[in-house]
Amino acid sequence: MRAWWKTAAGVVLVGVMLFPVYWMFNVSLTKTSDMRADPPHWFPWDPTFEGYGAALGQQLPALATSLLIGLGTVALTLAVSLPAGFALAKLRPRGGRVIDFLLLVAQMIPGVVMAMGFYAIYIRLGLLNTVAGLIVADSTLAVPFGVLLFRAFMAGIPAEIMSAAQIDGAGTWRTFRSIVLPLSRNSVITVSLFTFLWAWSDFVFASTLNRNSDVIPVTLGIFRYIGNNTTQWNSIMATAVIASLPAAFLLVLAQRYIAAGVTAGAVKD
Amino acid sequence: MTSLRTETAPAGGAAPAAPPPGRARRWTASAFLAPLIVYLLAFYAYPLYRNIDLSVHDYTPRAFVQGDPEFTGLDNHLDILSDEAFLGALGNTALFTLGSITVQYALGLALAVFFHRNFRLSAVLRAMFLVPWLLPLIVSASTWSWMLNSENGIVNAALQAFGIGQINWLTSPDTSLLAVTIANIWLGIPFNLVILYAGLQNIPAELYEAAGLDGANAWQRFRRITFPLLRPVSAITLLLGLIYTLKVVDIIWIMTRGGPADASTTLAVWSYREAFGTGQPDFSPAAAVGNLLILIAFVAGLVHVRLQRREERA
Amino acid sequence: MNRPSVSTKMTVFGTAVLALSTLTACASTPQGASGSGAGSGTAPAAGAYTWWDPYPQHDAGSAWARRVGSCGEQAGVTIQRTAYDTTALTNQALLAGQEGNAPDVILLDNPAVSTLADAGMLSAMSDFGLDANRFDKNLIAAGELDGKTYGIPIGANTLALYYNKKILDEAGVDPASVKDWASLTAALKKVKAAGKKPITFAGIGTEEGSFQFLPWLWGAGAQLTRLDSPQAVEALELWSSWLKDGLAPNSVIGNSQNTSWEEFLTGEFAFGENGTWQIDSAAKAGFPTGIVQIPAKDGGAAPTPTGGEFITVPVQKDAKRYDVTKKILECMTTPEGLVETGTAFAYYIPSTAEGQAAILAKEPSLKPWVEAVRTAKGRTSDNLGTDYPKISEAMWTGVQKALSGAASPADALKEAQAQAQQAVGD
Repeated sequence: MRAWWKTAAGVVLVGVMLFPVYWMFNVSLTKTSDMRADPPHWFPWDPTFEGYGAALGQQLPALATSLLIGLGTVALTLAVSLPAGFALAKLRPRGGRVIDFLLLVAQMIPGVVMAMGFYAIYIRLGLLNTVAGLIVADSTLAVPFGVLLFRAFMAGIPAEIMSAAQIDGAGTWRTFRSIVLPLSRNSVITVSLFTFLWAWSDFVFASTLNRNSDVIPVTLGIFRYIGNNTTQWNSIMATAVIASLPAAFLLVLAQRYIAAGVTAGAVKD
Repeated sequence: MTSLRTETAPAGGAAPAAPPPGRARRWTASAFLAPLIVYLLAFYAYPLYRNIDLSVHDYTPRAFVQGDPEFTGLDNHLDILSDEAFLGALGNTALFTLGSITVQYALGLALAVFFHRNFRLSAVLRAMFLVPWLLPLIVSASTWSWMLNSENGIVNAALQAFGIGQINWLTSPDTSLLAVTIANIWLGIPFNLVILYAGLQNIPAELYEAAGLDGANAWQRFRRITFPLLRPVSAITLLLGLIYTLKVVDIIWIMTRGGPADASTTLAVWSYREAFGTGQPDFSPAAAVGNLLILIAFVAGLVHVRLQRREERA
Repeated sequence: MNRPSVSTKMTVFGTAVLALSTLTACASTPQGASGSGAGSGTAPAAGAYTWWDPYPQHDAGSAWARRVGSCGEQAGVTIQRTAYDTTALTNQALLAGQEGNAPDVILLDNPAVSTLADAGMLSAMSDFGLDANRFDKNLIAAGELDGKTYGIPIGANTLALYYNKKILDEAGVDPASVKDWASLTAALKKVKAAGKKPITFAGIGTEEGSFQFLPWLWGAGAQLTRLDSPQAVEALELWSSWLKDGLAPNSVIGNSQNTSWEEFLTGEFAFGENGTWQIDSAAKAGFPTGIVQIPAKDGGAAPTPTGGEFITVPVQKDAKRYDVTKKILECMTTPEGLVETGTAFAYYIPSTAEGQAAILAKEPSLKPWVEAVRTAKGRTSDNLGTDYPKISEAMWTGVQKALSGAASPADALKEAQAQAQQAVGD
């Protein structure tokens, strides 16, 4: 009984939260002449599929590029931030606080300045307009976050579990790999989610570092609908709807995974 | 500056509960940290240097291309501080940032607690909350400005049904800051929800079971167990929220361009406008405002570390 | 027990070395090693010329891309074209200029020409012997700085008042009666009395807002050099009074030209201030439309600002490249070429008298637009050059203040003038 009540409340909350998303969907089906109708149309009674036609015809390669960049960024971010978060949380390294500070300050560097810096470096390395280059650049959005979050979460792993493992004779690497990592599943998924989403929605880096028409992510692809003085809103919104679908699917999968593994239970054993 | 910090570091390392850090352990720690340190040096040092370099020179577009800017010391910073728009932008930044992070945090926490106990469809519904993040910012910000349009926006149309007259959300100096704050809160809820939810998952279930036996009600459980145990995660969520919100440009830029009459211009928007918002790029004042933001984040970081240390001692 | 830990150390070490070598690689490669090559950072093939333009809406298969490509072929090279959105283009050009790898050709929005020319990034047309005299004086003025021409217009557009014939008929307004501000405002009031929305325009706090305000400012007899003159105040008072009296919607404060056009397309508005580029869209609207020239305060057509892109040629280390670049530019600006460009963009008015004659022969209905372009005025002309963007920023800020009610038109423009003077002074 109670659970049903909660599900109903959850649906309402999601409805409120996703209203702007519905509105985007609504606009994606609206004819240009109805877009600024006053009062606005709550439903696309007289829909046009022009936007979807354009988006499906033109944006699928960009979608694949975005997906690739997102997943690559997740891998790179985890590789750098997991060991670092662990070291900061559990190994009490010399200068740990300096690193904390650097991480905080690093995140405040304006994105545009970061992009200008990367441009200067990439032009010498020939990394402009490459997926790899964009993956590295996008990971700078997430690495400080990853380290700080892993540090916060790993600090909560009881010291007894760690010392028990050490007494068993496990080296630090093995403790990290077979004890800390499994216990950190939730935070790994959390960091992965956000990393993916940041890379997915990045525009500043893409627009500075990646203009070649073969490998543009979808955030840049949208700009083909924004001319000098004209904007094809239904195509933009349709692209956003189409682009959201695969990513939304990934999100649901990842969230189920979090729900399945209750860390507290693992600690108890 | 760096040497000073290094000196204080061992004090933190020598917290009473810790086992004495041995030499071997230090080496292992360094090995684990090495990728990060290399990464930080490779990818942040140059941009940071670049920002400072831009801010202490007079980079006109000409000087930018020719590479021969005049060194002006702190003039750019002083100009910014004495600009009559400065106090307004600072106030807007404070309102926008504090308003955004408190409401985001409160709503995010409430939702995390709500979703904490699994119920039918809870995982799917929770995932749906992340959907706003999948949208490119130009899309979500444009959608909000669409909905908040004075004449043909859905929000005013809905309010009209309740007899409330037209509110010029984006075009009145009285409401534009509120309007962009609302949109930003909407964007920030998923972040808070996900992190706080993950934090809740890490609180051992038996603590609640024990409390349940003592006859504690939901509110008492939240106040005595959830909230205190969530403190480290809350602290990092708020700190990151602060930093990300200080940096927000796109959403404000797309919705109001910081206007009308600078009513929604924050420091970050100001910086962006100087550099890219006009036909005449002024990189130097933009970088000076950027430095100011870095400084604010730095102070927030100091406060955070202080609080954290006190917690460790307690 | 040791094996995994050894392998970690190796991995960590390996990562470190890899990253370090990346670092040193960027430190040791000499500046500008990539030369005057392609935007991709790879060395250009011998016959490849790079071309940047602000038209991402025209993809590789579009008529525009084919046109660019064929001009390359005629000059004996292949053109690598990259499209940026307008705002990104100037920044990207500055970055490339700084790194010494600017493309061979950039199409720039006309106020940006002065900025990049002043930065020393552009070569003058006379440097490689391109004749700029063919182009209409008022149009090419925006490409001139200190007596030299740094860009040639590939076409021009400007503003006029589109009207919805159906609404005007219902309200009993004859569009020909709109001759000055008084008759325009009277027409707007009639429309309002008939229960329709009178007018929409774009007052957004960007260059577009200034672009739309200029016909009224110039039409009042004011100059950009004195934003607080009584004439300028009259122009802003006209706009604010429209808002106050409900003749224009409040949303114009945030409207871009595109948004304002979408409002006009709903069929609820009698007039919409918009540009040449909407000709096709107007023809497809669900109601009959027409245009009138924007009136000056005391009658006659107000000077409207010219818009449109200029072809510019960034400075190259290898001066031999200019020979081919010149051929490409000439191919782009033959009368037939200009007509082709004009129609590919729906619509651009050709920038030479010959080109205008040619497009009129093909599309006689463009006559009012050709006239509007002939009487139009460059934003950076009057030798404002790089001062224009600064004045423009002050102006749109003032317009925003007055329209939103944050200040009276006179006070807003007084502040704008002070802001402009300060910005121009340094």
